[in-house]
Amino acid sequence: MSHAFRFLDDIAIADIAFEAEGDSAEEVFVGATRALLEVLANPVTIADSWQRQVLKTEGNLDDLLIEWLSEIVYWKDAAGVVFRDAPLTLRRENGRWTIKATLIGAPVDGERQELRNDVKGITKHRYRMERNGSMWKVTVVVDV
Amino acid sequence: MRLNTDMRVNRIADEVWEIPASEKPGMLVPARVYATQTILQSMDRGVFDQVTNVACLPGIQRYALCMPDGHWGYGFPIGGVAAFDVRQGVISPGGVGYDVNCGMRLIRTDLSLTDVQPRLEQLMTELFRRVPAGVGAAGSVRLDRHELTRAMLKGARWCVERGYGWHRDLSRIEEGGCIGGADPSTVSDQAVGRGINQLGTLGSGNHYLEVQVASDERIFDLGTAAALGITGQDQIVVMIHCGSRGFGHQVASDYLKVFEKAMRRYGITVNDQQLACAPFHSPEGQEYFAAMNCAANMAFANRQVITHSVREAFAAVFARSAEELGMEVVYDVAHNIAKVERYAEGELLVHRKGATRAFGPSSTDLAPEFRQTGQPVICGGSMETGSYLLVGTDRAVQETFGSTMHGSGRTMSRAQAKKQVRGEQLQQLMKERGIMVKAVSMSGLAEEAGFAYKNISQVVETVEGAGITRKVAELRPVGNIKG
Repeated sequence: MSHAFRFLDDIAIADIAFEAEGDSAEEVFVGATRALLEVLANPVTIADSWQRQVLKTEGNLDDLLIEWLSEIVYWKDAAGVVFRDAPLTLRRENGRWTIKATLIGAPVDGERQELRNDVKGITKHRYRMERNGSMWKVTVVVDV
Repeated sequence: MRLNTDMRVNRIADEVWEIPASEKPGMLVPARVYATQTILQSMDRGVFDQVTNVACLPGIQRYALCMPDGHWGYGFPIGGVAAFDVRQGVISPGGVGYDVNCGMRLIRTDLSLTDVQPRLEQLMTELFRRVPAGVGAAGSVRLDRHELTRAMLKGARWCVERGYGWHRDLSRIEEGGCIGGADPSTVSDQAVGRGINQLGTLGSGNHYLEVQVASDERIFDLGTAAALGITGQDQIVVMIHCGSRGFGHQVASDYLKVFEKAMRRYGITVNDQQLACAPFHSPEGQEYFAAMNCAANMAFANRQVITHSVREAFAAVFARSAEELGMEVVYDVAHNIAKVERYAEGELLVHRKGATRAFGPSSTDLAPEFRQTGQPVICGGSMETGSYLLVGTDRAVQETFGSTMHGSGRTMSRAQAKKQVRGEQLQQLMKERGIMVKAVSMSGLAEEAGFAYKNISQVVETVEGAGITRKVAELRPVGNIKG
C-alpha cells in the first residue's frame, strides 16, 4: 500500500493546492491528510499530547474526504492544536463510506513547533477524485 | 494588446474595459474591469472567466465588476463587485469569501518616527506578545456561549461595552461596527467552536498588523488628511488587516453546502460550483445573510479587541495613556461582505469580495464626520511597499455601486514566492531597509514577499484616474507583525 502528495504551484495564486495519490481509496485519503497536516505545520515538530477520535460517514468518497479534511481544520481552531499524524481506516458498508481516524497532535506552541499556514476552509475549486485502474488521485485547494 | 482571455474586451475609458454580454452564453449584463492597459494585460485568465461567470447570476444589475487589484478567487474573482435585485436576485457566499468581513482598520497617533525609532524593537515585541497571530492562536478574551452571542449581535459595540475601546471609536467604523440583521440561531455549533477562543487574533496568510509612517511628501490632500487625523511630519499610524477568523470561515463553508442543495431546488445553474447561490429572499438566502452578518459583527469585534491590545502596547512602551498618545481610530472598513444598499435601481444586495465600499461625501449613509471628506478607504499593500488612505467619491456611487479596490493583489503564487526567497532572508533584508518584521511562520513570511504582489501605486492611480476614489496619503511600513 502506498500514497504520495505534491503541492501544485499555479492553481491557486493566493492559496494552496495539492494533489494526492494512492493505490487505494484509503491511501489517497492518507496522502491528502498528510498534505493538509504539512500545510498547517511541520508534523515532525509536533508532539503527541492531544488526541481525538473521529468517525464520519457519507454516501460517496468525494463528500467524505471534504468532510474529513474540514474536520481537521475545525479541531485546529476549536482546540487550538496542530497535528503530528492522523492514522485512518476507510470502509464501505451498505453503499456508504465511513472513515475512522485518530487526530494526534499538540496545542499550538510557536516556540517549539514549525507553524505554517492557518487554513480557513477546504474548497471545492477544481476538486475531484479520480480512479484510474488501481490508482486514485485527488486535487484539493485550501483557502489560507 | 495580448490578454489572458479569448473574449472581446472593449475600451470604455483609459481605466475601464468592458466584456460585452454576447461574449459568453448566459451573461445577463456586461462585465467591466477597472484597470490600466498594463494592469489589464497582467491579469490572470481567472479574472475574465470569473467576472463573466458572475454576470450570469440571476438578478444581477448593470455590470459585473472587477477592480484593478483583481485576481482569481473562488467563484467570484478577488476584486469582484456585483449588485443583485433584492426581490429577483441571489446571494452567494462565493461573492463574500471565506473570511467574512475581512477588512482594514487604521489608527492614528500623535507620535512621530523620531519618538518611535529608538523603541521600535521594544514596541514590535510588545505588539507581537499582545496580539496573537498565526495558526491556531487563541485570543486573550474568554467568552462563554452567551457572551459570544452578544458579540455576534453587537460587534464592536459589545467590545466597547466591555471596556475594549472608546465609545467614539464606533462612529469611525463602517455601520458603526454593528450590522443589523444578525441572527445567532443561523450559526452552526462548528462556527461557534472555531470562533469562541479567537477574538483578538490576527490569523495568518496576508493578514497583518503594521506600524507605518505618514510623511509630508506622501500626503496628497492636506485638508482631507488633516480632517481624518493624518498630520504628516513622519507621524506614526497603525494598520490592522484581518477578519472574522474561524467563525466566519465556518459560516462560509456551512452555507456553501446548503446552497449547493438549494440551487437544485430553485432550478439555478451556475458555471462554477463555487458560485453556489440562492434567491436572496429564500429561507436559505435569508439564513446565510443573517449568519454572515453575525460573522461580520465578529470581525468588527475582532479588530476592536486588537485595537485595544495595540493601545495597551503603545501605552506600556511609551508610558503614556492611549488617549494621551492620540490613538484615535481613523476608520474601519470591510472588504469581504454583502450589504443591502439603495441605488438608482432601488434596493440592491451589493457583494464586495476583495473590494471596499467607497461612498462619496453626498452619501447620507455616512457618519456626519465624513460628509465633507467622503468615506475613508484603507488599502493595504505588500509588507515591503506602502499602503494607502483614500476617500470614496460620488462617482463611485454612480458607477461602481460605491466600490473600489482593497489592496495590491497578488501576481505570484505562494509556492513560487517561497522558491525565490526564504523567510529568514527576507526578514533580514527588510530589517536593512528599516522595516522590522515579527512573524510566527517564516515560510508564511516568504509567501508574502513584496515581489509576489502588484505595485500598489499603479493600482491606486487606476482608481484615482477612474474617479472612483481619491488619494489622501501613502503610508510607509516600519514594523510588521505576521501570522
